[in-house]
Amino acid sequence: MNLFRSEEHIERWLGGRAPGATITVNKLSELAHAWWSDRLPPEWQPHTRELNQSVLDRLGLTGEFWQLW
Amino acid sequence: MDDHDLDLRTVTYSLFVELGRAPTASEVADSGDLTCAEVVSGWQRLHEQHALVLDPATAEIRMANPFSAVPTAYRVRADGRWWYANCAWDAFGVCAALHTDGRIETSCPDCGEALNIEVREQRPDDESLLFHCLVPAARWWDDIVFT
Repeated sequence: MNLFRSEEHIERWLGGRAPGATITVNKLSELAHAWWSDRLPPEWQPHTRELNQSVLDRLGLTGEFWQLW
Repeated sequence: MDDHDLDLRTVTYSLFVELGRAPTASEVADSGDLTCAEVVSGWQRLHEQHALVLDPATAEIRMANPFSAVPTAYRVRADGRWWYANCAWDAFGVCAALHTDGRIETSCPDCGEALNIEVREQRPDDESLLFHCLVPAARWWDDIVFT
C-alpha cells in the first residue's frame, strides 16, 4: 500500500506483476479518515466487516478487488 | 471481543499515543491494574481479532493500526511528534486518528524521490500522487505486514 509519483512509476515498480488497484491520493485521504478516525476514543467498538465494506462502497471503492470477503 | 479486552485495547492505544511508541506489556499492566500475563494473553486475543498486530517472534506490539511500533517508510509529523505508519493508508490514518493536520514523509518506491505531503483539514497538498494497493481486500489479513 504505497504512494507513487504517477501511473508510469507504478507500472515500472510492478515489473510485470499483476496490478492491484490505484486511487488518487485525495481518495486515499478520504478513505483513511473514514476508516481510522474513531480508533482512539474509549467508546470504540470493533468494526464489523459489513461496516468496513459500507465505508469502501460509500467512497466508490467497489468491484471484486475491494470486497472484504 | 468482551469488555475486558476492549478496556485492554483502550489502555494500550492510550499509552501508545501518550508515549509516542508502543507500550510494553509491563507498562500496560501497571496502567490497567493487570498482570503482565493478563496483558500478553489479552493482546493475543486482540491480535486474533485484528484489533492489533503482534510480532510473532516476541509477542510485543508490531502494529496498533494505523500506528507502527517499528520504523517504516512512512513517517508522519502530527500532534507535536513523529510517528511511523504501516503504509500510505495508515499514514493518513495517523492524522485521522489524532484528528489533526500533519506532514507525511516517504519516497516513491519506484524511483526513490522524496514525497513530502502536508495534510490540512484532511486534504493532501499534492493532489498528483497515486496510491496503489497490490493485494485484494479479501486477502489483506492473510499477511498484514506484507499488505
